[in-house]
Amino acid sequence: MKEVLNKLHKFSAHPDSRCWYVAWNPSGTLLASCGGDRAIRIWKKEGDSWECQNVLSEGHQRTVRKVAWSPCGNYLASASFDATTCIWAKKGDDFECLTVLEGHENEVKCVAWAPSGSLLATCSRDKSVWVWEVDEEEEYECVSVVNAHTQDVKHVVWHPTQELLASASYDNTVRLYREEDDDWVCKATMEGHTSTVWSLAFDPSGQRLVSCSDDRTVKIWKECHSGEGDNSTDTVWKCVCTLSGFHGRTVYDVAWCRLTGALATACGDDGVRVFKEDENSDPDQTTFSLVVHAAKAHNQDVNCVAWHPKEAGLLASCSDDGEIAIWSYQAEA
Amino acid sequence: MLKMTSVSGSEDLFDCILMADDRFHGEGYQEGFKEGTRQGMVEGKNHGATHGAKLSAEVSFYYGFAFTWKCLLQNNTDAKARKRLKTLESLTGFIQRFPHYDPQYENLQEDMEKVRAKFRQVCSLLNVPTDFREYVTASEGMSF
Repeated sequence: MKEVLNKLHKFSAHPDSRCWYVAWNPSGTLLASCGGDRAIRIWKKEGDSWECQNVLSEGHQRTVRKVAWSPCGNYLASASFDATTCIWAKKGDDFECLTVLEGHENEVKCVAWAPSGSLLATCSRDKSVWVWEVDEEEEYECVSVVNAHTQDVKHVVWHPTQELLASASYDNTVRLYREEDDDWVCKATMEGHTSTVWSLAFDPSGQRLVSCSDDRTVKIWKECHSGEGDNSTDTVWKCVCTLSGFHGRTVYDVAWCRLTGALATACGDDGVRVFKEDENSDPDQTTFSLVVHAAKAHNQDVNCVAWHPKEAGLLASCSDDGEIAIWSYQAEA
Repeated sequence: MLKMTSVSGSEDLFDCILMADDRFHGEGYQEGFKEGTRQGMVEGKNHGATHGAKLSAEVSFYYGFAFTWKCLLQNNTDAKARKRLKTLESLTGFIQRFPHYDPQYENLQEDMEKVRAKFRQVCSLLNVPTDFREYVTASEGMSF
């Protein structure tokens, strides 16, 4: 049996600019993209083509680096280099800017909603990670500012079920945070990458975390329960797998499919790769194999990969050339 | 003087001349070391005093800021004001526990980062722009 990655569609999403990030809404009906043209675009599949349903160009003064849908799908958050984060409310087919979150000193690099939808995390080049709380009146308040990293924070992601936050940084580390006495506190640090960590993703169960880096490797981390000191809230995450030798350049993004367990990576060598965990591999020393490599997936650096939340094997990717590609990953009999 | 004329004495004399280079080198080193130590102490003291003063000014600024806002908010009873007060209490708590009389306190940088982070959260909650650069960035980027 051979696995294949078929290109279904490719379209220009942010012409003459970079497309930085794509995100599927929770039901998988819409795809949001953002780019260097300071705009957010909402894409919808109409028949056999992808149509731009909305352009949100008024919110930001500079590059929009990342977008994130709330778990209910009614809100979209956008992180921008203009130091702000916008919250957009979906009203029917339209979007309106509900609020602008200010506070970071400079470029906001990422935004992520907690699974409950009541917490939001942002991170910035100012080295800090902020946690915001949303109340019933749709008002956002900062509940904590954490200065744990020593450099630019590139990415934040929430655990799929718990209120556990992970961040990746230019200081080569990954950190985990939990709430403790009204503040968010760094509870674990993962060291092992030898250069910038660009992105992170939890596995469907939340027991493992995957990180990708400028050091051209992908690492998988697993929570280890030390037998002693059960009262300690500090956890240890150990690297159980390193994928090296597969990527020719920086690995900018990694996505862990909730439906198939497959890993997809976005690389600076213009390629998209899919890895699969070997059956019967030891959970504490797991192995993954490269199953598909789309070498010239895009004309320039691939910035992001995103698995469709409902349709197994459907993958979106976007690139510095401003294009979005939709792929179908499947086993060919 | 008698000794000088003895055989061993003349050997010492030659030794003296031959070893003078070493001796003066050693003495010069000792003198230089003393002077260097003295100057280093003075420089170090000045450096420490300057940076200590900057750090203190920054922490004191936060304390005064928090204290003033606490006074302004203390009579409000709504939930929002309570939340803000709690965060302000947390900031003043951090500063009160800050051992600013101990220059060798090992977690100084770490605690300073916590105070700065709390201050930024407070500003966000109070809708106050954090542009206090002339007060707060003075002691940043401390170099030793």
